Amino acid sequence: MPYFKKSPWIIHYDGSSCNGCDIEVLACLTPVYDVERLGIINTGNPKHADIFLVTGSINEQNREVVQNIYEQMPDPKVVVAIGICATSGGIFAECYNVMGGVNKVLPVDVYVPGCAARPEAIIDGISAAIKILDEKRKRTKEIQSGKVPLLIEPAVLSDAPQILDLQRLAYQSEAELYNDFTLSPLRQTLEELQKDFESNLFLKAIMDGKIIGAVRAYEAKGTCFIDRLVVHPQYQNFGVGSKLINEIELRFPVCRRFESFSGHKSKRNIDFYTRHGYKKFKSEKVSEKRDRIYLEKNKTEEKQ
Amino acid sequence: MNILIKILFVIIIVPLAGGILAGLDRKVTARMQARKGPPLLQPFYDVFKLLQKENLVVRCSQNFYIYYFLFFVIFTVVLFFTGGDLLLVIFALALAGIFFVLAGFKASSPYSLIGAQRELLQIVSYEPAVILVAAGMYVVTKSFYVAQIIAFDQPLIKFLPGIFFAFLYILAMKLRKSPFDLSTSHHAHQELVKGITTEFSGRALAAIEIAHWYENILIMGLVYLFFASNIAFGIILTLAVYFLMMLVDNTFARFKWQHALGSSWLVALICGIGNIIILVALKR
Repeated sequence: MPYFKKSPWIIHYDGSSCNGCDIEVLACLTPVYDVERLGIINTGNPKHADIFLVTGSINEQNREVVQNIYEQMPDPKVVVAIGICATSGGIFAECYNVMGGVNKVLPVDVYVPGCAARPEAIIDGISAAIKILDEKRKRTKEIQSGKVPLLIEPAVLSDAPQILDLQRLAYQSEAELYNDFTLSPLRQTLEELQKDFESNLFLKAIMDGKIIGAVRAYEAKGTCFIDRLVVHPQYQNFGVGSKLINEIELRFPVCRRFESFSGHKSKRNIDFYTRHGYKKFKSEKVSEKRDRIYLEKNKTEEKQ
Repeated sequence: MNILIKILFVIIIVPLAGGILAGLDRKVTARMQARKGPPLLQPFYDVFKLLQKENLVVRCSQNFYIYYFLFFVIFTVVLFFTGGDLLLVIFALALAGIFFVLAGFKASSPYSLIGAQRELLQIVSYEPAVILVAAGMYVVTKSFYVAQIIAFDQPLIKFLPGIFFAFLYILAMKLRKSPFDLSTSHHAHQELVKGITTEFSGRALAAIEIAHWYENILIMGLVYLFFASNIAFGIILTLAVYFLMMLVDNTFARFKWQHALGSSWLVALICGIGNIIILVALKR
């Protein structure tokens, strides 16, 4: 049902800018333009919003704020970059503290250029965003109902750059959790990853021709060591991770024991492994901020 | 069997009427502000959309309280429209309100906490006037049953103008309108983000919205009791009261909670209790 088209609620945020675009966004709510006739409400609360309007560029200080607002919005959601500053950094692009447009930190769906963007253009941008919102909802439904085929197969060396990108994206949330941006998966270089291919078996999960998940493992003394199970943030909670771990266990038929590890605060990861029959067996301090929890699973145990 | 059909009828028709009333409210409000306004069925579009959104929670149990809130509001509405005990209606509604407050506390963000505290203050503010409505109606009709109050042959407003005024005064609180939209509001008053509903999204927010429709119709039902002797006359006057509330909503800025609490108790005390004292004195 196309209810998203009829009731898009917005939240707006003004980054580093002259405030001109922000004023034009609010002008859309006035009697002259009255966006409420299209069912649009300015909510001011990310948890109620469907469309995130960002005006102004992203700098080091508001990066976290913008990400935080985006993460608090329930799916499906779209991001609209309004004005040239939000699109590319605009006149502030060269500033020492400016990172650039919104697309540096968020997946932007619609760009509305202009300095300042006129209310008509903003309304046009929102109506384009509404269509994307509905498509995203359909898409999520299709993935959830398993209509989109998910392919799991061994990765080859040429997949390394894509897997590295995915790894960096997926470990962002971990890095924020421990407030440690020096985690080894984030620091790994392409050469190092390519080297891993010599010792590890890599599996990749493919949806729509894109790699959305990956895992690697190697065998030593009858134990299979599983590492860096990653799933694209937008495709999490659809069972991709479960399929990957089941598949990688099957790929090591001789192994009697499987081992993996996770950070001590990563409750989601530990729960995930526990669901798949893994048990904690030791923990080890790896840094000031992080303990490493080791998890194991014995195949013989399972059969009894 | 007959009563079951009646209950089902109430459960289905009341939210439909409530949604249309909310749509009408938004339309008329927009016209008062020289805007075109959303379509009449906009509240339904909003709720159907919310049902399709992701369900985000801070604490797993927070939505549990919201569903209890909805359940008790529906219970209250059924009790009222099947001619039940007015006192029980008032206290069941208060219980529903408490569940809403608990949900706000459970979500435990600073915004929803302040919203929940303000909601509690609102309950304290309006409850005396609401209880006086039941008491006043009992003094006149000698019954707490809605069916018997409606069957009374004269309009109750004739005997209870003071209590009606006290009730009218706290009506804005019950309908979540300015000047008393302290805990949460429908308009872009953003200093508390969204007050008590801040941490609710998706299905839970839809449930709050639907409960609000039920509640509004229940409140309008209470207003109708004052004019119940003539059906057509009663409905027109009830709608006129709602229109007055919309006008007040668009005219006033928000009060502080101290003003809301103080003034509503003062009005309930002077007009409401004064009304009952005069009634009892005249009857002697």
